[in-house]
Amino acid sequence: MATATAAPAVREDGLGTLAGTGKLLRFHARRTRVYLIGWFAGMVGGTLAIAASFPELYATPDERAQFATTMDTPAMRSMTGPGEYIDAYAGSGSAMFAHQMILWSTLVVAVMYILLITRLTRADEETSRLEVIRSEPVGRRADLAAALLLACLSAVALGVLIGLSTLVMGDADVAGAMLYGLLHTAVAVAFAAITAVTAQIAGYSSTANAFAFGVLAFGVLMSMVGNAQENAALWLSPFGWAQATFVFTPEQNWVPIGVAAIVSALLIWLAFALVARRDFGQGLMAARPGPSSAGAGLRSIGSLTFRLSRGLLWAGIVTMVLLGAAYGSVVGGADDIFDTLSDTQREIFTQQGASITEGFVVTISLIDAFTATIFGLLVIGRARKEETGGRGELLAAAPIPRSGWPGSYLPMALASATVATVCGAVFLALTGAGSVGDWSFFDDMLVGGLVHLPAIWIMVALAFACFGWLPRAGWLRWLPWAYVFIAGYFGPILELPDVMVNLSPYEHVPSYPVADLDWLPLIVLTAIAAALCALGYLGVRRRNLQFA
Amino acid sequence: MTAVIRTEKLVKRFGHVTALDELDLEVVEGQTHGFLGPNGAGKSTTIRVLLGMLRADGGTARLFGADPWSEAAELHRRLAYVPGDVALWPGLTGGETIDVLGRLRGGIDKRKRDELLERFDLDPRKKGRSYSKGNRQKVALVAAFAADVDLLLLDEPTSGLDPLMAAVFNECVREVAAQGRTVLLSSHVMSEVEQLCDRVSIIRKGVIAETGTLAEMRHFTRSQVHAVLKNPVRGLGDHEGVHDLKTDGLEVRFQVDGTALDDVLAQLAVAGIASLTCEPPSLEQMFLRYYGDELAAKGVDNGGEE
Repeated sequence: MATATAAPAVREDGLGTLAGTGKLLRFHARRTRVYLIGWFAGMVGGTLAIAASFPELYATPDERAQFATTMDTPAMRSMTGPGEYIDAYAGSGSAMFAHQMILWSTLVVAVMYILLITRLTRADEETSRLEVIRSEPVGRRADLAAALLLACLSAVALGVLIGLSTLVMGDADVAGAMLYGLLHTAVAVAFAAITAVTAQIAGYSSTANAFAFGVLAFGVLMSMVGNAQENAALWLSPFGWAQATFVFTPEQNWVPIGVAAIVSALLIWLAFALVARRDFGQGLMAARPGPSSAGAGLRSIGSLTFRLSRGLLWAGIVTMVLLGAAYGSVVGGADDIFDTLSDTQREIFTQQGASITEGFVVTISLIDAFTATIFGLLVIGRARKEETGGRGELLAAAPIPRSGWPGSYLPMALASATVATVCGAVFLALTGAGSVGDWSFFDDMLVGGLVHLPAIWIMVALAFACFGWLPRAGWLRWLPWAYVFIAGYFGPILELPDVMVNLSPYEHVPSYPVADLDWLPLIVLTAIAAALCALGYLGVRRRNLQFA
Repeated sequence: MTAVIRTEKLVKRFGHVTALDELDLEVVEGQTHGFLGPNGAGKSTTIRVLLGMLRADGGTARLFGADPWSEAAELHRRLAYVPGDVALWPGLTGGETIDVLGRLRGGIDKRKRDELLERFDLDPRKKGRSYSKGNRQKVALVAAFAADVDLLLLDEPTSGLDPLMAAVFNECVREVAAQGRTVLLSSHVMSEVEQLCDRVSIIRKGVIAETGTLAEMRHFTRSQVHAVLKNPVRGLGDHEGVHDLKTDGLEVRFQVDGTALDDVLAQLAVAGIASLTCEPPSLEQMFLRYYGDELAAKGVDNGGEE
């Protein structure tokens, strides 16, 4: 695709601007192989695992047909895909798989290709790595061409592998499997092309990323709106094109892939036209000058930490509001959904014989709590980045105790996770009570979400303690999270021993509203969190700071 | 005179690597102290121990008579620091960074800040990520010089500056010194150290190889002598203070130890001197001499000695 669209550029300026593309392509492939292999393994492994387990969950056409009736609401369609798939549920397990998967699976692929392109283009310009390359006999457009070529080639390979993985489902046909793979390729190339354009416009690589993620968010929104209201908004979204292939259904069609190819080609042509128009290291959009002096609010270490990590707080709020609202909108249908579940799933949802809706709320609140925890952990990760990135050196030399820097990242992390949890709980309760049609349910759902806070604080404080005592082991900040997620989410299915499951603080949170609100475990959990905070501060106070 | 910085047998290890090996360093009040040494000798490590960023594994370090580790925050009120490699927050402008650093130490003199911005020709409205290395350095320098502190710790502060800005920097250090404040200046730029510093410490492999005023250090090192004599001189080569003697008729060239200088010149005077030049060693030559064996190991000629 890239070679074909590069042609007009060649005619304009001669071959010179593309000289060295082949060599750069090999170079890029060498540098990004770990990145690519990691994403490939995740995508293909994920597809394989889900495709392999899907037929067992909904083995018979009857089960699928029953499930289809619960899916055909605007809310559920917006979270999955068009109704055409739902009509094919009974006839094909693969269609059901595609319906449930496409939006989320292509979303991950889009993220992967946005990051890949900015990494290979603007990010390299900023770190002046590309400056060395440009001083070689290499054309002005060669690095962009090589980056896009690598994106296209790897996207085709990824598509083929994903397509092949779906063949583990018995009723998947080869043509359908190839189309399922190819729609991932199409979304990948589309977002590579979009990012190639934003990389030319934006002043910095981070802004280029932000613009591309803005397009991604718009794409997701249009897909949701288009599917909920069954209108043409779907066609404004690359994810919509992928969904509109109706892969594995009788209405399967390849036209949207062609649309994606044409739009991508136009965007790539635009990127090549733009790249020659801007200066090296600069975007078309000039970097705007900022304030020449700091605002009145920026006067303490706490306010500086807030300023530096508020982006994560906003990301947490937006994610949790969306997640809360999305889950809340289906709470009302929990009873219907339950009828369609397999035995193992019923086991997850049923707790102590309470009402199904209440059990559903407990499960959703737990997922919300796991998700909100992530934003606290990310803030702790930011503290480590400030240290290794050397920016903390200026602060460590200022008259601030260690509890101020890097210590102020702990309250910031706790606050971020807490605010995210509260937002998730409020929106779950709002939309949940709305969908059930009973506002007395609002309090139950709100409290059901908030009871998880002490467990969340433990996880954040534990990450901070690891940062304080074993700063080099960044993975150690995430391992406990992965552990409690697996123990909490899959523990019942995997039949883990109680001792292992009970290590997770989330296990000791009262299952409100199914069970009564028992304060004792909450107080104990909070005390443990406080102890971990103290332990973390102690570690931060006594260790060497590690600047580059 | 009170010692602002004093370390005794200071030891710092990173795993199996001994970065500081019983380092003794003293900087007294009001002094501008040059801190020289090759890359990896332990200059930055010493400064970071003095800043309480690293904990010493042995010996003592004192800053204003207090422990830099346990009383870091209080001590930092009295000092300003410019790291060797300045990293700035990508989203904060230079002006915001200078202000926030100033406010963290309790306020910033707006007039002084603006004057320094002017002198260093720095645009405070650019974002941290768009500054070049030299400009990042300037942000840290403006923040440090604008601070009303007793001690400046400067770790290779001019490494990214152009000659014009290096001159502005020299001027600023002289002003600070004139106000009686103390400066520890780690540097590779010999001319800078020769111009600014009262005393110099040379660090090598984690120990101080030599410390003293430039005059003292010259005294202990060799001068280059070139003389045209009226009569041949005998026995010059036998003198233990004379090195690398080259005789060409009545013309002699040799190096002489600072301690043997008067003795040797007296001997020349006996023979009668037609012309004489005696060059004291430059700091650069002294520096090379102290690293003599390292350079020799790498096959570099270190000025014809030995």
